[in-house]
Amino acid sequence: MASAEPGSKVTVTNPTDAELVESCLAGRRESFDLLVERHQRHVYQLCYRFVGNHEDASDLAQDVFIRAYRGLKNFRGQASLGTWLYRIGVNVCLNKVGAKTPQPHALDPLLAASDERIVSQAESAADAVLRGERAGQVRAAIARLPRKQRATLILRVYHELPHEQIAGILGSSVGAVKANFFHALNNLKKLMAE
Amino acid sequence: MTTHLSESELVDLVEDALEARRAVHVESCAACREQVEACRAMLRDTAAIEVPEPSPLFWEHFSARVRSAIEAGPAERRSGRAWFGLRGLGSLAAAVAVIIAVVSGVHLVRAGLGGALPAGTVAGPAAITSAAADERDTVSVDGVPDPDNAEVWSVLTAAASTLEFDEAHDVGLHVHPAAIDHAVQGLSAAELTELGRLLQSELKRSSN
Repeated sequence: MASAEPGSKVTVTNPTDAELVESCLAGRRESFDLLVERHQRHVYQLCYRFVGNHEDASDLAQDVFIRAYRGLKNFRGQASLGTWLYRIGVNVCLNKVGAKTPQPHALDPLLAASDERIVSQAESAADAVLRGERAGQVRAAIARLPRKQRATLILRVYHELPHEQIAGILGSSVGAVKANFFHALNNLKKLMAE
Repeated sequence: MTTHLSESELVDLVEDALEARRAVHVESCAACREQVEACRAMLRDTAAIEVPEPSPLFWEHFSARVRSAIEAGPAERRSGRAWFGLRGLGSLAAAVAVIIAVVSGVHLVRAGLGGALPAGTVAGPAAITSAAADERDTVSVDGVPDPDNAEVWSVLTAAASTLEFDEAHDVGLHVHPAAIDHAVQGLSAAELTELGRLLQSELKRSSN
């Protein structure tokens, strides 16, 4: 990567995450903006899966990037930046959901708007209502899972991370991740039956 | 009959990643087969749930919001969302800023600077703003709502009903009811009346 004075524009057309980290550590703050733009959607979606509403998810996503910025000098590059952000995100979210009872997802205006859009597309209103109820039950059940099972389920199902990567994020073994995933699915079934 | 599948193997089978010589076990084991089918069904239900997409405006401003929060430092982080919104909202932001500043300023004066305000008087805007800045935790998004403050809340919500909340929401401006409730606890009737008058006045001015 070409050297540049702090504050100057980043000139590399498509820099890698590692290059942007290096650039940011060299004092070019706009490099971090690019990293945020590159990863914001995944981080936000991760947070949304934990808290179930836009307000908290956007706050948590912001918190993740603030922590990442402050800890950037400690980022060794052994894992990808995405994995590192996931790790920070899971910690931030688990702290949040540990301190606060999850809010009912159906109250989120974004979620309601999303459901309305889906209803208007193809399926009948009755089907949509049934599907919406089922989705609400699943969301509520996920919110009641033990924290590590919940994190495992979210990372595996919604972010499609390999078990090995999830193990790295959660500080567990691959076997423990698979066991957590299995128990998460089983517990969901039990919770749905209540 | 071979040994039952372990939890790890069941997961692998659900994900079609189990080696064939172990996968055949379910053909002769109803218990394992049932577990696999239950897991697959639950996985389908779970995977079908999507995250609703925020407005494009949210994504456009998110990195700026992060940057602002970083620049503001640790003391400002808890209210970072509100500050981000205030920067972009012009008169609406001014109105809401006055609401928060007045509420927290009056509260602060009562709490620590010499007791209750005389009826019909409030601190000047500059003093109020400064007081609010020193007492950020008084107006906190984590404040505890007080259901007994129904009168106060009705004044605030009536005043706030004229605001364009859709627009405010889109750019990330959110004043949690709990924050205002927390700040106005302990105000006297006269102070509440004056607060209501100030709110109405500021909101009218901002809408012109």
